[in-house]
Amino acid sequence: MSIVVKGVSKRFNDFPALDDVSLDVETGSLTALLGPSGSGKSTLLRVIAGLEQPDEGEVVIFGDDATGLAPQKRGVGFVFQHYAAFKHMTVYDNIAFGLTIRKRPKAEIESRVGELLELVQLKPFAHRYPAQLSGGQRQRMALARALAVEPKVLLLDEPFGALDARVRAELREWLRRLHEEVHVTTVFVTHDQEEAMQVADRIAVMNKGRIEQVGGPRDLYEHPETEFVMSFVGPVNRVGDTWVRPHDLELSAEPSDGADEAMIERIVHLGFEVRVELTRADGEKLWAQVTRDRCEELELEEGQIVYLRPQHERVFSAAT
Amino acid sequence: MANALRRFGLRGIAFAYLAAILIGPLAVVFYRTFENGFGAAWDALSSPETVNAFKLTLIITAIAVPANTVFGIACALAIVRRKFPGKGIVNAFVDLPLALSPVVVGLSLYLLYGRDGWFGSWLTDHGIQVLFALPSMVIATIFVSLPFVAREVVPTLREIGDEQEQAARTLGASSWQTFRRITLPAIRWAVIYGVILTTARSLGEYGAVAVVSGHLQGQTETATLRVEERYQSLDLAGAYSISIVLALLAVLVLVAMTVIRPKEEAV
Repeated sequence: MSIVVKGVSKRFNDFPALDDVSLDVETGSLTALLGPSGSGKSTLLRVIAGLEQPDEGEVVIFGDDATGLAPQKRGVGFVFQHYAAFKHMTVYDNIAFGLTIRKRPKAEIESRVGELLELVQLKPFAHRYPAQLSGGQRQRMALARALAVEPKVLLLDEPFGALDARVRAELREWLRRLHEEVHVTTVFVTHDQEEAMQVADRIAVMNKGRIEQVGGPRDLYEHPETEFVMSFVGPVNRVGDTWVRPHDLELSAEPSDGADEAMIERIVHLGFEVRVELTRADGEKLWAQVTRDRCEELELEEGQIVYLRPQHERVFSAAT
Repeated sequence: MANALRRFGLRGIAFAYLAAILIGPLAVVFYRTFENGFGAAWDALSSPETVNAFKLTLIITAIAVPANTVFGIACALAIVRRKFPGKGIVNAFVDLPLALSPVVVGLSLYLLYGRDGWFGSWLTDHGIQVLFALPSMVIATIFVSLPFVAREVVPTLREIGDEQEQAARTLGASSWQTFRRITLPAIRWAVIYGVILTTARSLGEYGAVAVVSGHLQGQTETATLRVEERYQSLDLAGAYSISIVLALLAVLVLVAMTVIRPKEEAV
């Protein structure tokens, strides 16, 4: 294990940001901390980095107890949501910062920074200042800066949160490829379940200062252990105590055993996907996700009566 | 016509006010200084007492400015970056010298270090002269010029936030390295601006220093005290010529400030 977090609690005034959190991060993995804002995911990342001190519990990094250790002694690289670029330094000097601090020979710094500039595709911008870069370029610079000192673990706090959708999608792809190349143990924080699923190989879902569930993207989606995980990692319909994903609501034009009657309120075409908004005979509102082909095959129309057969429904014992 | 009034009204008022309050008196001082020719002014300035007075002013400034620069930066860092009980009080106390009359400052130093003061007798027993000597004048000057660096640096520190500093820490920098390489370059214009204001205030200090100096000619007389002394001795040419040098120093400071300001905004 690269990182072991044991029973960590942290309060800000009266607000419990972390409540007895334990987490193991495997060496070489790419782990996402996923949760809504205020769930404690950023605080957990900052505790691992040493930027926050936990009230209780311990943090072990590669077998060494790091709980009381200053951030500069932990061997972690940290990337901030708003880049934290050193504004008065060029891109080159930003990336070289950690090596300059360590008083490495000039030739070594030059070759290492050169490699990293290549890796993050910023070679032509080496002598610009951060203010002259786009958001995506700044974040790539921040990543290179963190990687320059060869950290044992790389921690990213909502790294793409401040970027527009297109750049965000590009950088996700790029981070995934970078991880395959560099293979440093990486933990990143996100509130975007799609981002977590696309980039990470393990996801820890957090809610109200606790970890609800840890697992692979598919595992979490298909076998959520709590209502929160069920509703956070994908779309859901809730009918009474029963939860079902919209694509698991099978529609048919003919009645059958155990199928509920419902009326189509609205049909939303989103290209390949079609959303069908329904009202059941008992007044419950839900929606189903079908493919365009299926929609055409059933000749669905607004106002039409259809029959619903939920698949893979879930009932969670005692609300968590 | 009404339009023209509206356009030039505000400007006119501002200019008339400045002319009446600032520029007029300064011009008179300037005129009076050279009324009897350049030679008279030069004679007044080159008298040993006056030269001594300027030396003393410069010595006091040379001690007070670095002291308040270091204190101001440390204080601003504490106010913005640290959490500690009584922080609000520290924040308020930094501004106290702006609100307090310098004469009161001088008087309180007099009460502390005078012969019957709290520290006075102990200091006298140990042969240390504070009152009517350089130490009390330095302390008085430091007191009145204390807020400027801190007041300039605090908002800049708030604005830059602490993410850059945290990033430097995770990259292996110690607290000192982080301060030297990240924080200080980020606040440098605020510090320079604060230093200029502190210098101007130190050069021009009169009230507090007047109380504690004892007015010993050629010994504890600063440039501003010398102006007063010449004036009382009815040597108007002398008073005016020293004033003009002080005024020129102030203008220099102003010029330095306007040269620096635009750069600060460009960064």
